[in-house]
Amino acid sequence: MTTISNNDIARAIYAVAKDKSGHERSVILTKVVEFLARRHMLGKSKEILSQLRKIINKETRTVEANVLSAKALPAKTKKELEHILTKRYSAKEIILNEELDPKLLGGFRVEVNNEVIDLTLKNKIAQLQNFLTRSTA
Amino acid sequence: MNTNHIVENLKKEIENFKAQIKVEKVGVVLELFDGIAKVSGLSDIRSSEMVIFGSGVVGVALNLEEDAVGVIILGDFSKIKEGDEVKTTGRILEIPVSDSILGRVVNAIGVPIDGKGALKSTKTYPIEKVAPGVVTRQSVSEPVATGIKVIDAIIPVGRGQRELIIGDRQTGKTALAIDAILNQKGENMICVYVSIGQKDSKLRKIEARLEQGGAMKYTVIVSAGASEAASLSYIAPYTGVSIAEYFMDQGKDVLIIYDDLSKHAVAYREISLLLRRPPGREAYPGDVFYLHSRLLERACRRNEKYGGGSITAFPIIETQAGDISAYIPTNVISITDGQIFLETDLFYKGIRPAVNVGSSVSRVGSSAQIKAMKKVAGTLKLDLAQFRELEAFSQFGSDLDESTKKQLERGKRAVEVLKQLQYAPVKTEHQVVTLYALVKGFMDNVPVARIKEFESGLIDYSGNNAKVFYKEIAESKMWTDKGEEQLKKVITDFKKSFN
Repeated sequence: MTTISNNDIARAIYAVAKDKSGHERSVILTKVVEFLARRHMLGKSKEILSQLRKIINKETRTVEANVLSAKALPAKTKKELEHILTKRYSAKEIILNEELDPKLLGGFRVEVNNEVIDLTLKNKIAQLQNFLTRSTA
Repeated sequence: MNTNHIVENLKKEIENFKAQIKVEKVGVVLELFDGIAKVSGLSDIRSSEMVIFGSGVVGVALNLEEDAVGVIILGDFSKIKEGDEVKTTGRILEIPVSDSILGRVVNAIGVPIDGKGALKSTKTYPIEKVAPGVVTRQSVSEPVATGIKVIDAIIPVGRGQRELIIGDRQTGKTALAIDAILNQKGENMICVYVSIGQKDSKLRKIEARLEQGGAMKYTVIVSAGASEAASLSYIAPYTGVSIAEYFMDQGKDVLIIYDDLSKHAVAYREISLLLRRPPGREAYPGDVFYLHSRLLERACRRNEKYGGGSITAFPIIETQAGDISAYIPTNVISITDGQIFLETDLFYKGIRPAVNVGSSVSRVGSSAQIKAMKKVAGTLKLDLAQFRELEAFSQFGSDLDESTKKQLERGKRAVEVLKQLQYAPVKTEHQVVTLYALVKGFMDNVPVARIKEFESGLIDYSGNNAKVFYKEIAESKMWTDKGEEQLKKVITDFKKSFN
């Protein structure tokens, strides 16, 4: 039996619904839901949706970045960050999802897809700890 | 040392520290089974790439699927939780290597476990490597002296050969391998003993035995114990052969023992089933042949142009009730250059080592035998073959004709000569003297019960009186008429005094 992956379904949904709008799109989406129900795949809808989001982002060259920081970032830093990310991923649009986490102590951490740039104080301290314990071993 | 001093030192260390800023690929642990984790994310990861879990435990990516990666965990997996972060390293799994690893006991990822402190090493070797190609190789022509008469005479092993040791439990497979290591003293050979899924008590015993025999100086033990995760058993032999390759790259000869590959296959089966790879015959995955063939292909003899050196492999396989036609035994038999077959029946008959000479072969080793040994072993093989054929008649005793009786008597003595105690390897030149006395008929009228006594007496006596013969063997690997005359005289003299 060949299995259909979540990614396959997400790609198919994107392909049929891409150029449609309004009523036509809602008909297509109803059919998709019916199809998933028939194949007992509604349980996977969360994963399919996240795949679909990834595909749409890729096609529209949108980059979603999660920014975790200890304190809210100043507007200037955010602008710079957006600029850097636009260049790095040659993106058209950057969506910054900000989150606050006091446990990071300071600095911030950017997550794009599964790439991470960690500039937090917490990470630096962890690195220092590693460095000190390793050099004495 | 006062506190100020410590603080100063710390300050100095901290000055040298620079935080690294880099883009890292991360994933998240989705599922966790025994020693296996399913991880999301980790895009662009390579097969068998090393990953690091949040708690510092190392893993290896084995299954690359569309939306997840199957990772085997090399370490304490109880510290890992669902949702933990996993980082890629961009490196294939590697182990630290150095000359100071000799005499040490390390685990499957090269970390010492013998309590003798950390290993200092600057070099690392990847554990998976493609075996040396055809142009770098040379055919087997130098012998490995195992010190076991039946092997050195009838199933000779050459440097760079892969000789399987196969048999049921408790037939002396490990003992054979340990004897071979003990005999490498002064033979210019590095030994690596890989213990896979063995009891820790057994390993301890082996280590103590090697230490006692002065063999740990040139030996490394790689251990993946029975209590450790299957993933460690799975990589242990590759770690062992990487250590062996490190020494081979220096032009040295290495002997590696995998004890045993049946447990290795079982560990791999466990991992594969947990990773949901389709099971095949005996529930082993489809690539279980490749698992062993890629390992044993790394045993080779390199030619001078490529730096020389060799790796001789002694894989061990444990059979169930003597069934050598099971899946893993047949696989490994077909990969190796011959097998030494040990039998329970022979073992309980008192024939130890319990080697079944009829089913054991060495496909390439005879070209590595020294000339003198080849000469005596040829006749010995014939004597033994005839003996086996006639053995069934031996019960009839007096009804047999003279020549048959003679053959039977010779055969009985040959079997007796080939018996050997554990941890008592015999030097090649002594083997030649004993076998010479046997095949030339000097032992024919010595009672079977006194053969052992005769043998040890002869070796002691000839050491002082057959110097020309020994010198010839040492220098040109063969005797001349002069040496042979001397030996004959020595044996005749000894026989007179023996009775």
